[in-house]
Amino acid sequence: MVKEAEPEPTTVRSGLTSLHWLLLVSVFVIATCGLIYELVAGTLASYLLGDSVTQFSTIIGAYLFSMGIGSWLSKYLEGNLLKWFIRIEILVGLVGGCSAPLLFVLFEYVASFRLILYTLVGLTGILVGLEIPLLMRILENQLTFKDLVSRVFTFDYIGALLASLIFPLILIPQLGLIRTSLFFGLLNIGVAAFLLYRFAETRPFRRGFSLILLVSVGLLTTGFIYAERIMTYSEGLAFQDTVIYTKSTPYQRIVLTRNNRELRLYLNGNLQFSSADEYRYHEALVHPAMQARPLARNVLVLGGGDGLAVRELLKYPSVQRVKLVDLDPGMTKLFQQNSTLVQLNNRSLLSPKVQVINNDAFTWIRQDTARYDVIIVDFPDPSNYSIGKLYSTTFYTELEKRLAPDGLAVVQSTSPYVARKSFWCINHTLATVGFQTIPYHTYVPSFGEWGYVLALRNQHWRLDGPLPKGLRYVTPSTIRDMLYFPPDMAEVPTEVNKLNNQVLVQSFEEEWAPYGQ
Amino acid sequence: MDNNSDAVNRRTFLAQAGVGAALLLTAGVNVSGCTSARSISHIQGGMTGANHQAGHRLRAVNELAKLPVSDRLTTDVLIAGGGVAGLSARRWLERLGVVDTLLLEMDGQTGGNAAYGRNSVSAYPYGAHYLPIPDLRNQELLDFLSESKIITGSDAQGLPLYNDYFLCHDPEERLFINGFWQEGLVPEAGVPSSDKDEINRFFRVIDQFKTARGADGLDAFTIPLDRSSSDETFRRLDRVSFAGYLDKEGFTSPYLRWYLAYCCRDDYGATPETTSAWAGIHYFASRKGQAANANASSVLTWPQGNGFLTDQLRAGATSPIRQHLLVYDVQLNDTGVTVMAFDVTTSRNVVIDANKVILATPQFITKHIVQKLAPERSSFNGFRYAPWIVANLTLNGLPQGRGMSLCWDNVLYGASSVGYITANHQDLRDGPHKVITYYKPLTDTEPDVARRQAYSTTYEQWLTQILDELEMAHPGVTPYVSQADIWVWGHGMVAPSPGFVWGPERRQAAQPIANSVFFAHSDLSGVSIFEEAFYQGIRAAREVAETV
Repeated sequence: MVKEAEPEPTTVRSGLTSLHWLLLVSVFVIATCGLIYELVAGTLASYLLGDSVTQFSTIIGAYLFSMGIGSWLSKYLEGNLLKWFIRIEILVGLVGGCSAPLLFVLFEYVASFRLILYTLVGLTGILVGLEIPLLMRILENQLTFKDLVSRVFTFDYIGALLASLIFPLILIPQLGLIRTSLFFGLLNIGVAAFLLYRFAETRPFRRGFSLILLVSVGLLTTGFIYAERIMTYSEGLAFQDTVIYTKSTPYQRIVLTRNNRELRLYLNGNLQFSSADEYRYHEALVHPAMQARPLARNVLVLGGGDGLAVRELLKYPSVQRVKLVDLDPGMTKLFQQNSTLVQLNNRSLLSPKVQVINNDAFTWIRQDTARYDVIIVDFPDPSNYSIGKLYSTTFYTELEKRLAPDGLAVVQSTSPYVARKSFWCINHTLATVGFQTIPYHTYVPSFGEWGYVLALRNQHWRLDGPLPKGLRYVTPSTIRDMLYFPPDMAEVPTEVNKLNNQVLVQSFEEEWAPYGQ
Repeated sequence: MDNNSDAVNRRTFLAQAGVGAALLLTAGVNVSGCTSARSISHIQGGMTGANHQAGHRLRAVNELAKLPVSDRLTTDVLIAGGGVAGLSARRWLERLGVVDTLLLEMDGQTGGNAAYGRNSVSAYPYGAHYLPIPDLRNQELLDFLSESKIITGSDAQGLPLYNDYFLCHDPEERLFINGFWQEGLVPEAGVPSSDKDEINRFFRVIDQFKTARGADGLDAFTIPLDRSSSDETFRRLDRVSFAGYLDKEGFTSPYLRWYLAYCCRDDYGATPETTSAWAGIHYFASRKGQAANANASSVLTWPQGNGFLTDQLRAGATSPIRQHLLVYDVQLNDTGVTVMAFDVTTSRNVVIDANKVILATPQFITKHIVQKLAPERSSFNGFRYAPWIVANLTLNGLPQGRGMSLCWDNVLYGASSVGYITANHQDLRDGPHKVITYYKPLTDTEPDVARRQAYSTTYEQWLTQILDELEMAHPGVTPYVSQADIWVWGHGMVAPSPGFVWGPERRQAAQPIANSVFFAHSDLSGVSIFEEAFYQGIRAAREVAETV
C-alpha cells in the first residue's frame, strides 16, 4: 500500500519512493526500539525496586514526558537534518542500549539508585522524542502533510504493538533484560548506519561517523557477548524469582531476587531472608534476648551482615555501641550502599553507634578483649565444615569469655522441625560449655519453623521485659508461645559438636538432604 | 555370583591401576621431555633443605681440623644436635639439676625434622607434623604436654583434657580413589566386598595386638617401644618383613596392601618389603591414647607441625644454645671430653671442654664424629634412611573434585607421594588461601641411589612432578599456586628394616663410651617419631645424671 504512494510534484530526486519507504521502515524500527527501552526501564525498576505498579506507572510517565521535551527541543535543531537524525540515532542506540547493563552494574554502587534510573529514562525519552519530529521534517517536502502524519504514526504504532508483544513473549525469556536492551541499541545503530550509506548527502561526514558507528557497534556487541558476566542469566533459572543482583566474593555468592511482593537474599543458594517476613525472623532473634536485658549498652553481632538484626537492636535507646563482625565486606558494603537495602535495614549499618568489622568471627573473638551485655549470633546454617566450627564447644567457650557476668547470647539454630537433631545439638553444645540454655522457635513463612537458643551466663531471664514500640510480631505472649516445643520438635539426645568431631555438619546434611539443599 | 562379580571388579581395578600407572609414566615423561602444557613460571620459590653441604664436611674431618680455632668454651654437659632428642635431653638434664649445659646445632634453627617455615598465609611444616595423643602410661610425655598447655586439665575420671585448638579438627582425612574423594584413608569407595572383608579382618588382628601382653606382663606393642614386651611370640615378628607377614596371613587384597604400603612409606619412608613386621604392626597397635575429649586415633597438630612441640621443648630449659656449629670430633681427656666444632658462618673451629657429651645426632653423622674414638661404629649397617621430598605450596584456591571436602590429610590412591596435609587446617579462619604440605618419600630405589637422584633433580623437575600428580585430583590447580618451596631431606628418617628393632646394633649404638660420651636420637629406637626421640633424650639425660 505504502509502496504505491504517489510521488510529490516537488520531488527533485529520483528513487524517492523507495527511499522514503525505507525512512518509514526506520520509523517502524525506532518506534519498536523506543517502546522497548521504556519497557526495559519499567521492568528493571520493578525488579530492582519492587512495587511494579508504581514503578511502571512512574517510568512510563517520566518517559513520555521526556519524549515531549524531546519533541519540543526538536524545533531548535537546524541545518543538516539528516546529519542530526543519524547523530540522534547513534545516541539513542548507545544510551538506550546500555541502559539495562548500566543500571544493573550501578545498582550495587550508587546511594541513590532512583536518580540514576530517572536520569537514564529522561535522557532516553528526550532522544526518542526527537526522532519522530526530525524524521517528519526530513520527509516534509516529500509527502503531503496528511500522508506524512498518517504514515509516520501508523508505523510508529505498529512498531509499538510489536514491541509490546515480543518483549514479554520472546525477548525476556530468550535474551534476558540486558541482552534485549543491547540488541535494540544495535538496531538503532543499524538504522543510523543504513541512512549514512543510503543517502548521498551524508558523504562529507561519512568517514567520521563511520568510526563512531564502529566503536558503538563494538561496545554494544561486547556487552551482548559478556552479558552473562553482568548477570548470569542461567542463574536466574535456579531461583524462582528474577535475579536482580549477583556477586561472587572470595567467601560466597550473593544473590538478590525480587518478585512483586518481596526481595530475597541468597548466600550460596541458601535463602537468608525474604523482605516479606524477615521481621518475624529478626524480631524473634533479637527481642527475647534484649527485653531480658533492657539496659544493655554494649552489643556484639556475629554474622548478620545484612544489618537487619542491628536494625532491631537500635530500637533500644540504652544500646550505646554495636559491633558487627561479618566475614564478607561484599555483604556489609551492599547493605550500607544500596538504597533499597539500606531502606530495608533502616540505615542501621550507617548509624554512628555501629562499628562494622570485616573479619573471621572465630579469629576476631579470640583476639577481642571487650565484654558485651548481649551477643547476637546470626551465622549461616552449619552446612559445611568452615561454618560448623562456629557452632563448636571451642567457639562457645570463647563466646562465654566475651559476655559480661550478667550477659546473654542468642544463637540462630536452624529449623527444629526439619533438622531436629541439629537444633538440639546446638542447644546441648551450648549447655556443655556451661550456659543455661533456653531454646525457642517461631514460624517464618519463607523458612518454615525456625529455632533459636538463648545462652545465659546465669539464671536471670524473664519474658515480660520492656519491648520497643512498633514491633510487628514479638509481644510477651509471642515469647511465651515460642518456648513451647510440640512433640514433633521436642528435645532428642545428641552428641556435642566439637572441632574434632563436627557432628553438627553431618546431622545437618542428613536432615536437610530430603529438602534438596 | 558374588564371587564372579568380585573377580570382575578386581580385574577392573587392575585395569584402572594400569591406566593410572600409565598416566603417571606419561607424567614422568613430560618432566624430562617436552615442556608441560601448563606454565609454572608464575610460581615463586626454590629448593631449601637441612644444611647437607655443612653435614658433608664431616666426610673430611681432617681438613676441618686444620682450620684455625676462634673460640674455646667450657661446659659441664655438651649436647650436639638440636633436634627433638637433643632438646629433650637438655630439658631433662635441667630437671635433674644439671644446669650447666650447652647445645650446639648445625643449622640456623633448632627442631631437626620438625623444621618449619612461615609466610603471609600460614606457618607450615617441612617435616614431622603431628603427635598422636599418648598412652596414659607415658607420664614424661603427658607432663611435657601439660607444661606446654597442650593438656589443659583432666575430667572426673582423670583423663587428660586436650586443648581443642590443637586436636586435629574434623574433617581429618580423605582419599582420592576411583575419581572420588572418600572420607578416611582406608579404601572404601568402589572397593569390592571381599576386599572390605579382608580389610576388616586385618583391623581385627590389629585390635588383638593392641591389647596383647607378653609373658612378662608388658604390652606387646607400646611407645616408647623399649617398654614393649620381650616375649618371643611378638619379637620374632621383627625378623620377617611386613610384606612376608601379610603374605603368610593371607592378606592379599590390593586395596589393603596399597593402604599398608602407604602407611609404611608415610611413617618409615620404607616399603612393606623393607619394613619389619613388628614395626609394621607397631604403627597400628601402639596407639592406645585416651583422653576426656578425644579418642585413641586422635592426633595433635599445628600449622607449623611438630615445630610447635620443639619450640615448647626448647622453652623447657634455659641453658644456652648456639647455632651454626657442627660438632665433628670428640676425644676423651683426663677430666672428660674435648669436642671440636666447625663454625659454619666463619669457617673457624670452636673447641669445647666438657665433662660429658651427648651426641643427639643421627647415626650417619655420629659415626663420623666418633670415628677416632669408636671406629667400630662405622660398620653399623642397619641404620637406613630414605630421602624425602617435602614441598610447601601456597595456593590462592584449590579446585576440588567430587566427594569429601578438603581435609587435614589428603591422600591420592596409587600416587608416588603420600599425599598432602593442609598446613592451615587448624587455623579457624575461612578463606580461599591455603598452604599445603606435600610429602614424598623416595622409596623406589635403594636409599643411596635415591639420595643422589634427589640432589641432582632440579627445582623445576620436582615442581612439575608434584603438579602433575596434584592435577589428577585437582584439575586446573597449577594457576592457583603462587609459591612452592621444596625441601630435600637426604636422610629423612630411619627405617625399621627386618631384624633391626630387636637386633643387636640398635642397643650397641646406644651404649655410652667411657661414661663420658652418650647417645640420644630417635634412630636408636629404630622408629622416627617424636615420642621416641623425646624418650631417647630423657634416657640419655638420665644416664648422664647417674654418672655424676
